[in-house]
Amino acid sequence: MTDPVRATPDDRALVRIRGLTTVLNGKTIFDALDLDIPRGKITAIMGPSGTGKTTLLKHITGQMRGDAGEVRVDGQSVPELSRDQLFELRERIGYLFQNSALLTDFDVFENVAFPLRQHTKLPEVLIRNIVLTKLQAVGLRGAAGLMPTELSGGMARRVALARAIVFDPMLILYDEPFVGLDPIALNQVLKLIRTLNETLGITSVLVAHELEAIKQVADHIYLIANGKVVAQGDPKTIANDGSPWTRQFFGGDADGPVPFQYPAGDYAASLGFPRGGA
Amino acid sequence: MSAQVSRDNVITQSLAQIGACGLFLLRILAAVPLSLKHARETVRQLWFVGAMSLTIIMVCGLFVGMVLALQLYNVLSMFGGTAMSGTVVAIAIYRELGPVVTALLFAGRAGTSITAEIGLMRATDQIAAMEMMAVDPMAYVAAPRFLAGVIAMPLLCCVFCAMGIFGGHLVGVTWLGIDNGTFWSNMTATVDVWRDVVSGMVWKSLAFGSVVSLIAVYQGYTTPPTSEGVAYATTRTVVASSIAILALDFVLTAFLM
Repeated sequence: MTDPVRATPDDRALVRIRGLTTVLNGKTIFDALDLDIPRGKITAIMGPSGTGKTTLLKHITGQMRGDAGEVRVDGQSVPELSRDQLFELRERIGYLFQNSALLTDFDVFENVAFPLRQHTKLPEVLIRNIVLTKLQAVGLRGAAGLMPTELSGGMARRVALARAIVFDPMLILYDEPFVGLDPIALNQVLKLIRTLNETLGITSVLVAHELEAIKQVADHIYLIANGKVVAQGDPKTIANDGSPWTRQFFGGDADGPVPFQYPAGDYAASLGFPRGGA
Repeated sequence: MSAQVSRDNVITQSLAQIGACGLFLLRILAAVPLSLKHARETVRQLWFVGAMSLTIIMVCGLFVGMVLALQLYNVLSMFGGTAMSGTVVAIAIYRELGPVVTALLFAGRAGTSITAEIGLMRATDQIAAMEMMAVDPMAYVAAPRFLAGVIAMPLLCCVFCAMGIFGGHLVGVTWLGIDNGTFWSNMTATVDVWRDVVSGMVWKSLAFGSVVSLIAVYQGYTTPPTSEGVAYATTRTVVASSIAILALDFVLTAFLM
């Protein structure tokens, strides 16, 4: 009999989500969501703010559990994993937080070295070489001695990226990786994501809003709205997709299937004007 | 009617908090063996909560001893018993003032910093980042701070008591002219190591250290990840610790006497 936790890994999809339903505080975040993250590819998750993109990453890493449905990573059913199994899985996943989440007690070098020190008994020389290599990749080898408070937002993000890739994981989840980056850093980070994918075959999931940057790097895009995948495909296909969802989202229109205004009462009445005008 | 409901809610919430805090203690204790892997972190925390609290403990201990000697001298001189000043200073400090005042100072100095630090770690996703790096925050963050508090409190209490007695000596002998030999001989003849020093100072300070550290770590760990949440949690640490210390002091005194 097949163990539901450790089923045979799918050859094509590293992450497989089926019928994921999540309700938070009475609001349906995911409504029977189906989604596959192909192995060795860069997949972008896009969608309006508050649509549950970060929540989706939390489901993939087991930080949250859905009300129904299935989330499998490398064949393992994430909600059914024990804490130890979950930690074993997380050792193979890199996660870039929206706000970098650097450990403020440690300098840049120690932040990047942290996972290595916690999970390996590598000699100090080797740890130093690995950390400096990763910092060189994000252009911050010279900042190894700085404290997180001395870094700009963009630099902190690049340090967090170096920390996320320090173990050469099988899967990296990037939550808003391009926010706060200047054009040079943005270009270098895009190159780095692409290089990691091409040279090490790392599967990447990007949650971002920057369509131009996504077009350069992503192999596949999912557009999520109203708890479902409303459009998907490669960047070229999805940009030319004529559906109202893609037209509104990529065109930046206020009018369309995604409401710009948060539900509210009558505007004129809120301002104290009589209904129907003067 | 509504006052009754409100009072019931407060009681229910307080009991729920105590229960949750108890369960949190079990989680910390379960994480202690794993935290031994992070012994360096425990030592670092011991430095922050222990060594960095030394100044306030020493200064306060000195003044408490000085004030106590001054007050006792005035009262005892009415009965011609000033020679007993040293004895009363020592017993008061060993049995009550040492552990209680040290614990109150410890809650204000170290407890608040533990709560604020852990609360900010939550607010800035550092705890979540550790979880994502497959590092158990209970073993890396909570247990080392708890252990450091439990270890530091008795040591700080010893320093407080020493400074208190030194302060008493300074005022009683150097300033008010009590005979030096009488001061020490009465004290050594009356103070009992097991009854006063071990029961009072060691057991009480261990219990207070455990309670204050638990409250501080729990409040930080469970605070809403907002600046307001951290501020409230820090305040709650001081309030809850102070009440717990004084209530526990009564219970322990009743049992240890």
